[in-house]
Amino acid sequence: MSIDISLNINGESHDLTVDPTETLVSILRDRLGMTGTHKDCCMGICGSCTVLVNGRPVSSCLLLAVQINGDSVRTVEGLENNGTLSPLQEAFLTFGAVQCGYCTPGFLMTATALLEENPKPNCAEIVDALKGNLCRCTGYKKIIEAVQAVANA
Amino acid sequence: MSDCRFTAAKTVEEAVASLAEARGEAHIIAGGVALAILMNEGLLQPSWLIDVSRVTELNCIEVGDDGAIRIGAAVTHSEVAASTDIAASCPMLTEMATEIACGRVMNRGTIGGNICLADPQGDPPVAMLALDATFRVAGPSATRDVPARSFFEDLYTTALAEDELLQEVIIAAPTAGCGTAFGKYAARKAMDYSSTISAAVSLERDPGDGSIADIGIGLGGCGVIPIWPEMTETLLRGRRLNDETFAVMRDVLVQEIEPIGDSLYSADYKRHVASVILKRTLKIAEQRSVAGKGGGS
Repeated sequence: MSIDISLNINGESHDLTVDPTETLVSILRDRLGMTGTHKDCCMGICGSCTVLVNGRPVSSCLLLAVQINGDSVRTVEGLENNGTLSPLQEAFLTFGAVQCGYCTPGFLMTATALLEENPKPNCAEIVDALKGNLCRCTGYKKIIEAVQAVANA
Repeated sequence: MSDCRFTAAKTVEEAVASLAEARGEAHIIAGGVALAILMNEGLLQPSWLIDVSRVTELNCIEVGDDGAIRIGAAVTHSEVAASTDIAASCPMLTEMATEIACGRVMNRGTIGGNICLADPQGDPPVAMLALDATFRVAGPSATRDVPARSFFEDLYTTALAEDELLQEVIIAAPTAGCGTAFGKYAARKAMDYSSTISAAVSLERDPGDGSIADIGIGLGGCGVIPIWPEMTETLLRGRRLNDETFAVMRDVLVQEIEPIGDSLYSADYKRHVASVILKRTLKIAEQRSVAGKGGGS
């Protein structure tokens, strides 16, 4: 069965014909070529596929696109503005919060949602917000410092 | 393209009608966080998905004039955690929802989906058992009420018939002086699964001698279903919480539960952790019961 849906992705409207079983991460990566959203565990555990749907972080590997017809999606590609990185992306570079980079888009989206909801989080709030994202290069300290720097700016 | 059908239900009636038409071949999907794992792993190829995530009547939280809390089945864990009504009348539910997985799962996962999945490691069923909640179930011709304490039948198996849909959970108003608490042990702070042991407690104390007048307990990670430990409850009634009580309780509890051991955490280890977590949670519920305001701290 194919179903027509419409998604607003990073401010741009996309009309798509999808299978009910297609996940959002597959559509982003395989159909739209937006490979910034990473696909890893496919079980909701690692956080690398985190995107924002209507402003809130979700696992795009566990989300059937057909269920969010009409919703707005933000991915890591939407963070920069006309070639200028967001303050959070800049802070990740400044603090060396990127090692292999695989987990980075997920951390960026989770932290972006945190900062939009709570612009001045304390360290405990940052750690709590990021607790569902895994970094296998063990770079948590620098990631937390980068988010803290944006909060303190 | 798969040959999976998809129905975006707008009402409970429409969802139940589709279930009846599907004759056991459909899956209800709300947040999708559990079903999508099975689909990604190749364990489930659904032939019909009935989406109830946008059914308005399943998305409400209400506290009635009688103080009873009604939570629609498609209410997300984030919405439960953020509800000031729930926090005011039953803080244990807020604690429970706040500790589920992590934010991005809380934003999609629903209380009804979690209950119907009936995973023995799940948190909402544990709270429902302790609170003696009632599950309102919609069927093709009528609704019926199923007590949480008889809902969980076997591993991933519930009292729901194939043409029935969980509509809402109903939690009676906590009586004055009742204290509630939710406690959990997990090796990883977020997203833990196999090591997780959880306990939910609702208790009332005798105003005279401070002994336990009534108690409800639910336990997660302690068997193939979420556990309602009746023997342990019976033992605790009429006793005061002290070292002697906890020692006797441990002996009864470890007999009453049958955790699933795995390569990392043996069943005996989980029995031990369960007794520790239950003890800690009982103490918190007892402290809150002193305040005598329906579980607030």
